[in-house]
Amino acid sequence: MKNKIGIIIGREFKERVHKKSFILTTLLTPILMMVLMFAPMLISEYSDESTKSIAVVDDSGIIAQHLINSGEIVFEQTPLPLEIARTEYDDYYAILHIGRDVVSNPTDAYLYTNGTAAMGTEHNISSQLTMAVQKEKMKIYNVEQQVMHELNTRVVPQSLKNVAEHEDAGGSSTMVASVLAYVLSFILYMFLILYGVMVMQSVIEEKNNRVLEVLVSTVRPFDMMMGKILGVASVALLQITIWIIFIAGMACFVLPHILPDNVLAAMELLKQGVPASAVDAGGNMGLLQGILMLSNIKYIGSIIIWLLLFVFGGFLLYAAMFAAVGSAVDSPQDAQQLQTPIMLPIILALFVMLTVINDPTSDVAFWFSMIPLTSPIVMMARIPYEIPMWEVCLSAALLYATFFIVVWGAGKIYRVGILMHGKKPTLKDLLRWMRYK
Amino acid sequence: MDLLKIENITKRYSGHTALDNVSLSIPEGSIYGLLGPNGAGKTTLLRIINRIIMPDAGRVLLDGKEITADDVCHIGYMPEERGLYKKMKLGEQAVFFARIKGLSHKEATQKAKMWFEKFGIEDWWNKKVGDLSKGMAQKVQFIVNVLHEPKLLIFDEPFSGFDPINANLLKEEILALRDKGATIIFSTHNMSSVEEVCDHITLIDKSRNILSGNVEKIRHSHGTNIFEISYRGDGQKLTDTVAGQCTVMEMATSSIGINKAKIHIANDSDVRNVIAALNENVELRSFSEVIPTMNDIFIRAVECNV
Repeated sequence: MKNKIGIIIGREFKERVHKKSFILTTLLTPILMMVLMFAPMLISEYSDESTKSIAVVDDSGIIAQHLINSGEIVFEQTPLPLEIARTEYDDYYAILHIGRDVVSNPTDAYLYTNGTAAMGTEHNISSQLTMAVQKEKMKIYNVEQQVMHELNTRVVPQSLKNVAEHEDAGGSSTMVASVLAYVLSFILYMFLILYGVMVMQSVIEEKNNRVLEVLVSTVRPFDMMMGKILGVASVALLQITIWIIFIAGMACFVLPHILPDNVLAAMELLKQGVPASAVDAGGNMGLLQGILMLSNIKYIGSIIIWLLLFVFGGFLLYAAMFAAVGSAVDSPQDAQQLQTPIMLPIILALFVMLTVINDPTSDVAFWFSMIPLTSPIVMMARIPYEIPMWEVCLSAALLYATFFIVVWGAGKIYRVGILMHGKKPTLKDLLRWMRYK
Repeated sequence: MDLLKIENITKRYSGHTALDNVSLSIPEGSIYGLLGPNGAGKTTLLRIINRIIMPDAGRVLLDGKEITADDVCHIGYMPEERGLYKKMKLGEQAVFFARIKGLSHKEATQKAKMWFEKFGIEDWWNKKVGDLSKGMAQKVQFIVNVLHEPKLLIFDEPFSGFDPINANLLKEEILALRDKGATIIFSTHNMSSVEEVCDHITLIDKSRNILSGNVEKIRHSHGTNIFEISYRGDGQKLTDTVAGQCTVMEMATSSIGINKAKIHIANDSDVRNVIAALNENVELRSFSEVIPTMNDIFIRAVECNV
């Protein structure tokens, strides 16, 4: 019997891996992810350099002198009164009207744009005006510029892991952890839904083309179902593994070329054994910590292992339910109603995940990462925050234990469902089938 | 020797009885036809033999022992609605099913190739079911069904969807399999194929077995003492001759001088006397009993079973 499951797994695996859609999504998704990550950077780098001319009508007479031209914006002061300037300069990007009382009343400034206003430009003008007004105010209060500069400080605490031994050379970056949490739980979400529905559709297909009838006489329905689930699971794991390798490769070969020099220098120092607190990466300390965290083999390795375990366990759990639904219906349309109860916990988990990222140790986070239906997604959102190991192990154990119970029930439904044709069953019917001898 | 014995099988679905106390036995090395109108329970019976569904009562014996899951590996079952993967290459498909039925990968490939050649479809190996017509797909289905050389083959409506040439090919293959020792059961509405192929039949109607037995015996036992004669001579003379012993049912004359008649001989009369009397008065060319076709028997049996 074992051998027969093997033959079925082999067939499922081979058929899916050879599909064009599989090859395309496997190769394109990481590329797409990279593009999405780097696109904003590249766009800002190469965005159109055309300068925007802005006519300035300065009624206060003191602000316009502080406005600084940049590559993007050129200010041109005009002596014309506002009404005339507004018609005169209608081919300019905008006309900036600085009111007489702008120093005492910050709202006394107006920007008349001739086209659509660009957020970046408005932001630029706003901050320039603010600075200008600040400078004028400093003059009024007799504050020296140096004092102002000294006052302007920003404190960003470096978060470090509070561990006894200092083997943990790298810091821990909350930013990186939350990004990881997002990405990992979305991977889980995607795989549970996509591959779960794939199992369901393939069961429906086999039922419709009567392959099941040929198989059912020689293979136990349970083996048939498990063969299918494991076959699809192996495809999912293959895809994730390819992605991990791809991303790791990108990180090793591409990252060094795009990182700022001071970060690279700081990493070099760390490698040579200089303590983290003594290394200065300038304003890129956060970036440095993120990189260090991601290059910590122990940290990333454990995440990858847990990811594979939770994807596999979560998938098995949901795929069994999807298979049961697929076995009961004749067409994907009929499945809609029955698959809703399966989708709900997945979607619930996604919402819980959003709160978990803000507070990974809250009670909500803990309990939803224990309840097996939501645990794969929620737990994957918590793992990057290095929560206690026992919680992760307990969650995984509960997940796999539930899988065995669910797969047993699903097998019972499957056995009855695959030979039922015609009428559209309800959830109640499915539960009744479970009790058949 | 009976290969398969079906004893008092009853299967009820909510609301109706699909099979009601059906028993039949299928001799080894024979071709067994399962006849019956639509909805009679034929497919249910075939599914029970294949252990796809379980009967509510009764048992299925294979070689005198109750049939088990392992036995089913040695059955080739071709469901009426064909069971093939649409997006899988035909060759791989044949190999897959043969392996599921217990053949090794090598053996399965070898045999599949052989059958593809036999049917002249070697170049279909890499095609998919979606690329084929229904009849073409059925050929592949047939191969899948016989590849593992089962000793018991079950076909549900094997001839539906085949053109006459391919239906003939299929018939010949079925006969060849029987000659090699396989036992074959098939269900059908196609009565001419029953007469040509089947050794035994069972007629199921309204969930019951209403007629079972050897095809020739059934046909003869349904003889109704009607004879067809062709002769040269005067029709009136013939009528007069047989009056009292027979009733003339039909008379026909033809331009070439050979006339035909259909007569019904009363049960207490001796056929020899009738022939002797006729021989004296007309020039008798032929005299034969009208044996009902399976089609007639089928219709009559089903109508009587109301």
